[in-house]
Amino acid sequence: MIQDQVKTAAEELPTKVPLLRVEDLKVHFPFQRGSWWKPQRGFIRAVDGISFDVAAGETLGLVGESGCGKSTTARGIMNLLRPTAGRVYLEGNRIDQLDDAGMFPYRQNIQMIFQDPFASLNPRMTVGNIIAEPMEVHGLYDRQQRRLEVMRLLDLVGLNPKFLNRYPHEFSGGQRQRIGIARALVVKPKLIVCDEPVSALDVSIQAQVINLLMDLQQQLGLAYVFIAHDLAVIRHIAHRVGVMYLGRIVELADADQLYKDPRHPYTQALLSAAPTPDPQVQRSRNRVVLEGEVPSPDREYPGCPFADRCPLVEESCRQQVPLLEGDSHQTACLKVTELPA
Amino acid sequence: MTEPLLQVRDLQVQFNTENGIVRAVNGISFDLAAGETLGIVGESGSGKSVANLALMGLVPQPPGEIVGGRAEMRGVDLLGKSHRELTSIRGNDIAMIFQDPMTALNPFLTIAEQLTEATRLHLGLSPKDALDHAIEMLERVGIPAAKQRVFEYPHQFSGGMRQRVMIAMALSCQPDVLIADEPTTALDVTIQAQILDLMRDLQQKDGTAIILITHDLGVVASVCHRVLVMYGGRIVEQADVDSLFHRPQHPYTHGLLRSAPRWDETRQQELVAIEGQPPDMAQLPAGCAFEPRCPHRIDRCQNEIPDLLPVAAEGPSENCAAACFVDLSVAKLEESQS
Repeated sequence: MIQDQVKTAAEELPTKVPLLRVEDLKVHFPFQRGSWWKPQRGFIRAVDGISFDVAAGETLGLVGESGCGKSTTARGIMNLLRPTAGRVYLEGNRIDQLDDAGMFPYRQNIQMIFQDPFASLNPRMTVGNIIAEPMEVHGLYDRQQRRLEVMRLLDLVGLNPKFLNRYPHEFSGGQRQRIGIARALVVKPKLIVCDEPVSALDVSIQAQVINLLMDLQQQLGLAYVFIAHDLAVIRHIAHRVGVMYLGRIVELADADQLYKDPRHPYTQALLSAAPTPDPQVQRSRNRVVLEGEVPSPDREYPGCPFADRCPLVEESCRQQVPLLEGDSHQTACLKVTELPA
Repeated sequence: MTEPLLQVRDLQVQFNTENGIVRAVNGISFDLAAGETLGIVGESGSGKSVANLALMGLVPQPPGEIVGGRAEMRGVDLLGKSHRELTSIRGNDIAMIFQDPMTALNPFLTIAEQLTEATRLHLGLSPKDALDHAIEMLERVGIPAAKQRVFEYPHQFSGGMRQRVMIAMALSCQPDVLIADEPTTALDVTIQAQILDLMRDLQQKDGTAIILITHDLGVVASVCHRVLVMYGGRIVEQADVDSLFHRPQHPYTHGLLRSAPRWDETRQQELVAIEGQPPDMAQLPAGCAFEPRCPHRIDRCQNEIPDLLPVAAEGPSENCAAACFVDLSVAKLEESQS
């Protein structure tokens, strides 16, 4: 019944509504440290105000170094973590405030694939039961049809449908990741949030899984929010890319544009640090090596979070937080927006 | 040509497990010259780490067993050494950096205690001199405020800083050979660039020979001089870095290079993945381990294991070898014609 209401609400909206809209999302974690008689309290600002849209059938890549808030963003979108502030809309319906029951009907449209193919599958369940579980939970099909559906999905992700009575430990890492993909696909979602889905895999297997994800997108019209730290993987799979630093998106643009013409000093440094599998190119490159490390997200920075490591830094950068500005190629940098495009 | 610093010949390591004998390393041979960086590339389970643990005498026995081979450093075989003899070599002549700097450092000891252990043992320094030396090493690897930080514990350092401490520790006795097992895999790209630059600088100053074990082709291209490619516990290709990337001779190397996406090239429609799965090391095929996945396989590959034979390279180096019955350049030509 709830589902019917959701559908009518979605149909009434104009077609321009993006599949997913994230507005000024913040996820802060309270912490307490120091001694118990003199505690120091504060917030880890894991995600500190990020906004983006994802259209149907599109892949948005989020890339950044560890601790930049990529995974927390994924969990915030999925409502697995309650956002501190901001709004998340799925097909125009606000979902960030919903409790588990309220979120339930939306979970058919938005699914997740996890990084670790060993920890994300229950070792005591057969592959068939793992893939069938979301259908049972959502009350889709009868028993017989579910079984057929599981076999169809195993075939779709490139596994032998006869494997459905086997257990996860009988599969290799790449095969397990395929099982995780089948489990996400079984409720026919429109959006899949992929949190580092290939980073635990060897290069040759990684290519198989990337190809599979791209094939599935074409066949089924899926949209992905694809989170990775590997710049090459992101360029290959994403249509648009957001570069994250310390809980914020510092640059957001079409993949080709971002990689050919990076504008934010952090994006430039990140690309310059990424090694290319070509020794001649590698020797001739001019590299900007960043000094120091990412500062801790445990306090609020008055200015640009990248100011301390930025080669272009000026006094104004430390006083004003730069906003993500621009039309198709957005950059959050005071120095860049000053420059004529 | 001068005598190589380290000569490994026909090294074989196996593990006796419940599921049968796992042949992790099946006869690998290579030389390491002073001052060079030798990359060893391969996927998980290809035997690249085990081979180097064997050189350090760090293969747990049992279940591990070094079945055969020699590893001579200046005429001394490292493999038959007793624990005591190894102690005088490890850290002094050969040192190692591990992938995960958090688990490789002792969380209960300060950096000072961990950094002075080797110099006091091997160089016989007094506690005071050893501490000064430790501080000097930390400064060399770029740790700010080394005088204060030397008394801190590993958890007070970030991942990149811990890896610097590991490097300082490994280099504190000026070893001739440094084995770095995935030294930057746990680090972010900007920190990785810092650490690779540091290793290159230190190598240029001290002339240390480095064995760099990695699965990251980008890292290989940026720092290595020569590369070994391992698959199924064997070396399938050996070449200088330019030949390897521009004229790969083994179908596996070729496949590996094609399957890696690149950030500096516009997206193609599809990556050329290597089909199938890596071999089960407990049940290696009778022939070439890559045969089940190889697009160029011929009948002979099923029953016979190809030797690592020199290939006539067109490039500047003659030191290229591949273990394959098929001439890849001919095979590729036929493929493009059909």
